[in-house]
Amino acid sequence: MSHSIGRTGRILVPLLSLTGMAMMIYAVVAGDETLPVAPPAAQPAASPYASTVAGAGLIEASSRNIALASPLPGIVQQIAVQPGQRVAAGELLFQLDERQIVAEIAVRKAALQVAESRLVEAQAAAIESRFLLQQVKGLSDNRAVSREEVQKRESADAVARARVNSSEAALRQAHAEVQAAETERERLHIRAPLAGEVLQVNIRPGELLSASNSAVAAVVLGETSLLHVRVDIDESDAWRLPHGGKATARLRGNAALQIPLQWVRVEPLVIPKQSLTGNSTERVDTRVLQVIFSFERGKLPVYVGQQLDVFIDAASAGGAGQS
Amino acid sequence: MINTTPMDGASPLFKSEIVIVYAIALKMLLGDRLKYFGLIAGIAFAAMLIAQQASILVGFTKQTGAFIRDTAQADLWIMDPQVRFSQDHIPLREIMVHTVRGTPGVQWAVPLFQGFVRARMPDGTNFTLILVGLDDSSLTGAPPLMVEGALTDLRRDRAVFIDAGTSAKKLRMKNGGNRPMQVGDTFSIMDHQAYIAGSYRSRTSFFWEPVLYTTYSRALTFAAGGDRNLLSYVMVKLLPDASLEQTRALLQQRTGLAARTNEEFIQLTADYILNETGILMNFGFAILLGFAIGSLVAGQTFYNFTLDNLRHYGTLKAMGVSNRTLAGMLFLQVAVVSVLGYGIGVGMGSALGLLMSSAGLAFSMPWQIPAITALAILLVSLLASWFSLRRVFALEPAVVFKG
Repeated sequence: MSHSIGRTGRILVPLLSLTGMAMMIYAVVAGDETLPVAPPAAQPAASPYASTVAGAGLIEASSRNIALASPLPGIVQQIAVQPGQRVAAGELLFQLDERQIVAEIAVRKAALQVAESRLVEAQAAAIESRFLLQQVKGLSDNRAVSREEVQKRESADAVARARVNSSEAALRQAHAEVQAAETERERLHIRAPLAGEVLQVNIRPGELLSASNSAVAAVVLGETSLLHVRVDIDESDAWRLPHGGKATARLRGNAALQIPLQWVRVEPLVIPKQSLTGNSTERVDTRVLQVIFSFERGKLPVYVGQQLDVFIDAASAGGAGQS
Repeated sequence: MINTTPMDGASPLFKSEIVIVYAIALKMLLGDRLKYFGLIAGIAFAAMLIAQQASILVGFTKQTGAFIRDTAQADLWIMDPQVRFSQDHIPLREIMVHTVRGTPGVQWAVPLFQGFVRARMPDGTNFTLILVGLDDSSLTGAPPLMVEGALTDLRRDRAVFIDAGTSAKKLRMKNGGNRPMQVGDTFSIMDHQAYIAGSYRSRTSFFWEPVLYTTYSRALTFAAGGDRNLLSYVMVKLLPDASLEQTRALLQQRTGLAARTNEEFIQLTADYILNETGILMNFGFAILLGFAIGSLVAGQTFYNFTLDNLRHYGTLKAMGVSNRTLAGMLFLQVAVVSVLGYGIGVGMGSALGLLMSSAGLAFSMPWQIPAITALAILLVSLLASWFSLRRVFALEPAVVFKG
């Protein structure tokens, strides 16, 4: 009993204990760090239908995006259109360097003139030989001109007429050659095959446009007053697709902007899914059915080539579009 | 406080005398400073070990699910059935997002990429990171809080976000740069250039690798050039009126994949990590050890203490104090020591834990831990008093007067 506890000890230990319990209660109540759940930057697109076939859609021109190329290689001389410009069918888009063909035309036109003068020359010769023949042919007295002379003049006349024919043919050939060169020249002028909007211009004056390298289109053209959406549907969902069904597209980044879509058709061939990130590598064993819808462009902030989230009402079935 | 019925029919003592007996019991306890402190220290350390080790175990368990909690903006996770934990990357076919979107009961579904990739800091330091790719258009699954920059900065070219909380340690350039990577730095991920456009704060994760966020399509480019199936998860939000079980069954049937709720996924991850890493074994063992050592120290000290005071008990017994009252005295002593020791123990455990957690270690103390610790300490005290009681009960009062 010698080491009895003093008053401080009697108070200190319970005090420590109480402090400890307070600390424990604090640790329990304070608990773990609570962090809020971050709201998404934009609400993810939700389906407006009870039963849905969903797919990723890519906006394209209703004529599809036409990648125009040149039939001939050459240096780009002049570009007549701007991206975004509307063009009529047959309107000039761009033109390749034509100096060589212009020179060729000049040569061929000269050749044409040569052929023309050759013809005149041959015709004159023919008139002369005919005149000489007429002189002897009309004579009743055979003694004035020898028989041999008559035959000579006859054959000279035949040769002259044949020359006229051949000169005429040469002239036609020269004509045709000029026309061929003109056509060749025209082929250096690339024109719009249909009315539409210029979507992309990938060439600049002075660049070499090679006819064999078609990786990049020189000019992309498409009819855009009505836009199409090409929707990829997983092949395993393809049986659920109602032909002629209702569909809605939602804009990525603002799902509140939605577009009602009209059924156009379904592509009859199921194809491997292509990555829309611009890489055309086939994804392992994923094949997709492509369905085409259309919508009026109107004032919507959408662009050709943009991706949309498309929801097709699986319960709706229309009669149209049974392709 | 443990108490026996003081009004013992067999006892010749009256109520006031009983109070005196208990006062004597306390006096005995406080009489020997060394034993008193020893007893309290034994209990306190046992309580501290149990509470702290259990809290660290709970903390680690919670940390294994940190990524899922951070990302829990949807109701269901669609994943390969073979996925064992949240960082287990088993790719899905990308078109699955649309299959899921087309399932009745689904309000929306977004893709999520998550995977380990190699990267190289500006000074050439190589490191492995966990890359998270968020749905490009909605950025669903973003980290809880932005520290620098806004969430939409992720749409900038080559943008990635780093963890502001751990970058100082995990993103330190050790190859000459001698500073952590920070917002504005450019580095390379799998030979693709990446730009740090912001930093975020999230829950502390069990996984050591730094977690970087970017957009889904960029993550695919970074990870493998976009030529393989790389989708990790589809996050699914259910319609408000949709039934979880029905929708889940439909999703599983249509996709052939597993659909798990946030809680199930957290549980799956925790189970896997705890079992595979031996954390559960280690900490469980430490808790048991704390319990055993605490019991031994406290039991031994208390037994010694009782032995030393045996003559007092003998005297009391000779004075006619019943065994029951003597037991009450003993229990009172044990109770006082236990309560005081418990308080100090859990206090030390909490204080250490709070200090440690601010230093980045796992610590989480739900109310169950103090409760279980209290139960364990109760068991320790009962064991300690059990041995002592046997000696007191067996005591012959005459012994005291003999020697």
